[in-house]
Amino acid sequence: MMASAGVIDLSLWQLGLAVLLVGVVIVISAREALGLERDLVVGAVRTIVQLYLVGFILASVFAAGRWYWVVLLLIAMTLVATQAAVARLKKPIPGGYEIAATAITVSTAITLAWVIGVVVRVRPWYEPQYAIPIAGMILGNAMTSAALAGDRLQSDLRARTDEVEALLALGFSGRDAVQPMVRSAVRAAMIPTVSGMMTVGLVQLPGMMTGQILAGASPLLAIEYQIVVVFMLAVATSLASLLFVRLAVGRYLTPAHQLRRYLL
Amino acid sequence: MPVLADVSFEVERNTSLTLVGPSGSGKSTLLRCLNRLEEPTQGSVRMDTRDIKELDPLQLRRRAALVLQTPVLFEGSVADNLQTQPASAHVDLSQPRLARALTDVGLDPDFLDRDGTTLSGGEKQRVTIARALLGDPEALLLDEPTAALDPPNAALVVDTIAALRQSHGLTIVVVTHQPELIRRLGGCVLYLVGGRVQANECMDGIAHEPTDRRVRAFLDGQRPRAAR
Repeated sequence: MMASAGVIDLSLWQLGLAVLLVGVVIVISAREALGLERDLVVGAVRTIVQLYLVGFILASVFAAGRWYWVVLLLIAMTLVATQAAVARLKKPIPGGYEIAATAITVSTAITLAWVIGVVVRVRPWYEPQYAIPIAGMILGNAMTSAALAGDRLQSDLRARTDEVEALLALGFSGRDAVQPMVRSAVRAAMIPTVSGMMTVGLVQLPGMMTGQILAGASPLLAIEYQIVVVFMLAVATSLASLLFVRLAVGRYLTPAHQLRRYLL
Repeated sequence: MPVLADVSFEVERNTSLTLVGPSGSGKSTLLRCLNRLEEPTQGSVRMDTRDIKELDPLQLRRRAALVLQTPVLFEGSVADNLQTQPASAHVDLSQPRLARALTDVGLDPDFLDRDGTTLSGGEKQRVTIARALLGDPEALLLDEPTAALDPPNAALVVDTIAALRQSHGLTIVVVTHQPELIRRLGGCVLYLVGGRVQANECMDGIAHEPTDRRVRAFLDGQRPRAAR
């Protein structure tokens, strides 16, 4: 059946047919003794439950069209992203939760405000159809880059402790002594984004663009949005990783320009 | 469990102090307290009667320059490494000054253009000493400067340190397991075990042999017995 917007509606039994695909994977796992059957079942159930839950929440927020519901949802998404970023760190960073929350919130707020308010000019600004998916993309990337940068910072500080202390011993300030590690951590977090910009659209169509095309948008409109998205994610990842690293590195230094080696 | 306890000593200007003792006795920690890379939880370190906590830590570290056990050379040439100095220190980084710094540690000025990675361990350690000397420190703190080196290279570094002590009028505090370095430097020996001072003996003149049997045993290259 065809829906009015030009998208084929999916009935429950059609979704059931999609579940059969997971059945195929489970059969493969069993036959090849991959031992993934249990995880596949749990994963499939979680996929259905979580997405339906999100769907209902989004549907009600969309229907209500109130700014406070949108803001509330954005706050909840930010909290989840913060939690996930902290959980991804291989070794905890002291004050990691506040650092991640600050880095993710600030980078997302700035990027979201620019995209929604200045570039796309969504009116009203809280229009959930725009605000929520755009915020979601920004948060997801900010979260990943903050965690990547944090991990890299820690492992670099640990591996290059002698280098930091050699600089401190020469009379460099703590900030100057850790600058090489700050730089390499931010670089490491930004490289996936930058290399993604090189091949975007050539290897694989980006998810958002694919979604828009599936939803009936013209490919040209879809790529225009995708361009905005690529640039928006570039700034979000760099801001989030830079903020995270700058805030985190301060925890490893004392006011007397000493390296807190016991934290590494 | 404190790393150091009841440690009290003085180092006169232009003299040397050697910190000896078994591994884990707190020698390196003590050395790092002297230029505030480490912060003592109790007690104080004074330089010219002033508590070092009242001094700017960055200035303190230039006045009392610490050379780490493992020589750290940064990417680039020897000249680049010697020029790695904080801008605020206003170090003279002219070519003749860099060349002189190398001569001071027994290296040929030709080394300036060498890539840091091509140097032997002993050469690297001498470059780090030269880098520390460029800031015109009053004191040189050395943390097992020969530990990472083979005997011939260690001997060269020992020569370098002993010569600097004479030529630069430096106050030297050194952690070492090298009896040769202790003999060459003379001065006082502080023998630490388990973070406590077991002996503090000064040798007048280089030929003088210490009287404390544990220090003597150490200098003879024997493993010193822990004091009861």
